[in-house]
Amino acid sequence: MNIVAVTACTAGIAHTYIVAEKLQKAAEELGHKCKIETQGSAGIENELTAEDIANADVVIYAHDIAIRGTSRFAGKKVVDVPITTALKQPKSLITTIEKKLAAKK
Amino acid sequence: MPLNEILNPDIIDLEVQGETKDEVLRYMAGVLLKNGYINDVDTFVKDIYEREAEGPTGMGSGISIPHGKSNSVLRNGIMIGKTVNPVRWESSISDDGFQDSHLIFLFCVSADKEFAKNHMMLLSELAGKLGNDVRVTKLSQATSREEIMNLLLCEDDELGEVDKILDEEKIVDLDIDF
Repeated sequence: MNIVAVTACTAGIAHTYIVAEKLQKAAEELGHKCKIETQGSAGIENELTAEDIANADVVIYAHDIAIRGTSRFAGKKVVDVPITTALKQPKSLITTIEKKLAAKK
Repeated sequence: MPLNEILNPDIIDLEVQGETKDEVLRYMAGVLLKNGYINDVDTFVKDIYEREAEGPTGMGSGISIPHGKSNSVLRNGIMIGKTVNPVRWESSISDDGFQDSHLIFLFCVSADKEFAKNHMMLLSELAGKLGNDVRVTKLSQATSREEIMNLLLCEDDELGEVDKILDEEKIVDLDIDF
């Protein structure tokens, strides 16, 4: 799968970045491509481009505050989870998405 | 700016005293005060609790990452404390919502956005390093300042291996819909 994700947590100091790393690693380990935008205290980093989004099979929002720029993802399949789910179960999240996407086809 | 700018051996303490989360946080804030990172323990701890109230900061593997922005901060940094006693801490990982922590990463960040700005990239880079299970396992078992510093400064491919990842995720089907 081609995955894009956005992470954002309340303080924007720790979880945003830890979860981005965990999701990235989980995706790669499971054989997927993944790009993750972080929306935290350091501002928006690794910003997703229109091309990234167009090429994505699925979009993951892992957050506990509002994600900025959601209109970019109109028409995409969006999986919306609390940031703690992605912290605790990044691999389960990705394998579940994979199964559900396959079932939709 | 290198990560060394944020990591400072003077605020790595391998014998953090205290039996409760509050005692540990206050002890660590005391070290930050002594080293000129904050100007007031009570204000700093209050601001940490404000973030704590929003959700758990235990991340499994015996590690907690309390953080928050505070007006009491004079210098941005990260205090690392290995506790003498295991400390009960709210957890995102464990099923009952609590874990025993023995390694605390206490993020010390100014509430002044402009002042914190230059260091946020470094702090976020450091936080990202805690997203690696091998690093986290090794940190949890580290016994010296040098070991902790090296584990945080090294790249992922320099980490080597561990026999067993702590709190390794069991892959299950999640109840999500999209």
